[in-house]
Amino acid sequence: MTEIPVALLVTLSVGTAAAVALALLLARSMREARRLRQRSAVAEKDLQDAMRHQAGLAAHAQAVEAEVRHLAAARIPDLAAALAHPNVPVRGVADPAFRGTDLDRSLASVLDQVGDAVTKERLRVDGAAQSAMRGATTTIQALLYQLQTRLQTMQERYDDPFVAEDLLGADFLNEQAIRRIQATAIVCGAWPGLTRQNSHVGDVVVGAMSRLVGYARVQVTNQLRDPVGIVARAVEPVAVALTELMANALHYSHPELPVAVTIQQGNRGASIIVDDAGVGMHGEEMERAQRMITGEEVLLLTELGDPPRTGLATVGQLVKQYGFATSIETSPYGGVRAIVHIPGETLLTLLDEEEQPMSPMAPVPRGSASAAAPAPPHGQPAPRPEPAYGETVQLGAVHGPAADAAPPVRPTAQPSATGPSHAAPGVDPGGPAHRSGAAAPDGGDELPRRRRRRPAPEASLDATAAVSPETAPHGRTSAPQAPQPAAHAQASPEESAERWAAFQRGTASGRAAVDEAAAPGQAPSHPHADPRSAEGNPQE
Amino acid sequence: MNPPADNRRLVPAYLATTGRARPSRNTLDRLTVLHGASDPATVSGLRPEETRLLELLRGGALSLAEAAAHLRLPVSVVKVLVADLVDAGRLMARAPIPDAELPERQILEKVLNGLRTLKSS
Repeated sequence: MTEIPVALLVTLSVGTAAAVALALLLARSMREARRLRQRSAVAEKDLQDAMRHQAGLAAHAQAVEAEVRHLAAARIPDLAAALAHPNVPVRGVADPAFRGTDLDRSLASVLDQVGDAVTKERLRVDGAAQSAMRGATTTIQALLYQLQTRLQTMQERYDDPFVAEDLLGADFLNEQAIRRIQATAIVCGAWPGLTRQNSHVGDVVVGAMSRLVGYARVQVTNQLRDPVGIVARAVEPVAVALTELMANALHYSHPELPVAVTIQQGNRGASIIVDDAGVGMHGEEMERAQRMITGEEVLLLTELGDPPRTGLATVGQLVKQYGFATSIETSPYGGVRAIVHIPGETLLTLLDEEEQPMSPMAPVPRGSASAAAPAPPHGQPAPRPEPAYGETVQLGAVHGPAADAAPPVRPTAQPSATGPSHAAPGVDPGGPAHRSGAAAPDGGDELPRRRRRRPAPEASLDATAAVSPETAPHGRTSAPQAPQPAAHAQASPEESAERWAAFQRGTASGRAAVDEAAAPGQAPSHPHADPRSAEGNPQE
Repeated sequence: MNPPADNRRLVPAYLATTGRARPSRNTLDRLTVLHGASDPATVSGLRPEETRLLELLRGGALSLAEAAAHLRLPVSVVKVLVADLVDAGRLMARAPIPDAELPERQILEKVLNGLRTLKSS
């Protein structure tokens, strides 16, 4: 019976071995399975990460694309607008997340480059346009000046009232044309196209005003103490600037309102103040205008509007180039006040009134006795010497040279009149001396002389020569008397006409002298006697 | 760089009369003799060119053409100024010495001829 245990033993052992083997196998497979599970979990996570990443990238790409689209659709147009109108803001990146990133910087540099390119191109185009305009305007301006000369000659030549009136009208139109073409030329960088002689400030102001429609509304007051003139090189620029400022004043005020222009003398120069009572300017306009008239802004023809508004731009260019100053502010009259200041050191000079008389249309300086302005309060013109002297005295006290500068404007009659009756006016130290020196030889003697007395200062221009041969020698030799009798030796028809007139005049003044002699004591208190005595007695 | 100074007028003539050249009276002539009104009380409230003209005449009478030359204005314009001032009574205008008062040319020629015949005879 031993076989059974053996068999059992064998079976058991085999079974055990098998079990062990199976257990081992099982354990292994379990491990394997666990590992597989882990790996799959990792893989899944990786996959998820990858998915997420990819989604992020896609979103970024989309955002960048949106940003680029924003650049094209919004920021570049913004830039274009900003280049034309500096107050338009250029938007930044659309997504705040991009702010300060590389993308932001590169997009900004794109904008910069586009901006630079556009600006350069615009300057180039504008420069080309300006030079084309300059070329055209220079020629036209020269032609218009020729036309002006022609018209002027014709005005002298034709007396027929109808022809003359048409000529004056044509002259005015031509003057306006010159003004326009000149302003355009100056905006385009040309010089004013004309150098004049040294000219009285009053002449410059009146000349400027004459170029405008509605000049009759401009009321000029001259408050200069001295015969101040503007030096040749600045005459036309100042005139053009004044024209444009007055044009604005006229244009922006009601067609019936006056425009007040005042010429003033300061310690360091002269100022011309243009006041209107018009619609005025609001803050921004005012700021822009101030920027423009100081000439600080780079001027682009294309920015002046259509039709180009050249006025202030012209002033700006001239100010920049010629060294006078302008400013604009709100006027106490409610409109705009524009001031042109001409520095004395560089741009002003004193003019000799005899050598270069003011235009008859220019307002006479307040300081001079011939001023019409101070007269009305005193009713009579005759008392004028007194207020005039008073004024000169005051001013003279402040400003020495004024004293001897002012008198030349005065009628010659007064110094000689004041000699006897107005001893007091000696207050004017340089003046009477200076003037009466010239006046005395005139005052003393024969008839024709008396006649020249007034014109004498002006007669220095040879205009007179054309009229009568006798006039010229008189005018030129206002001080020396010798040539005069000689001139009288040969009598032209005009001269004999004059002699007859003088004869009559002499009778009249002789009678006046008798009248006056009746009331000699009144002379100082009633100064209207003076001019008469000056005119009549001493001369005759 | 600038060309030499130009004598071009700065103030145009039409400014004196605001463009008018037709005087209110047509009796004026280049040789019309002008002299200021005796009453000088009327000089206030005048435009500058009128004041200048009256000042010019304060020294005595002048012909219209001379006054124009002194003022450097065209005669046609001065005529308007003068006409206005005469209308306002501030100025007197007198016709030029009429030709009739001067010896006639024919008579002078006759005299000359007579003298020549005297000399030759």
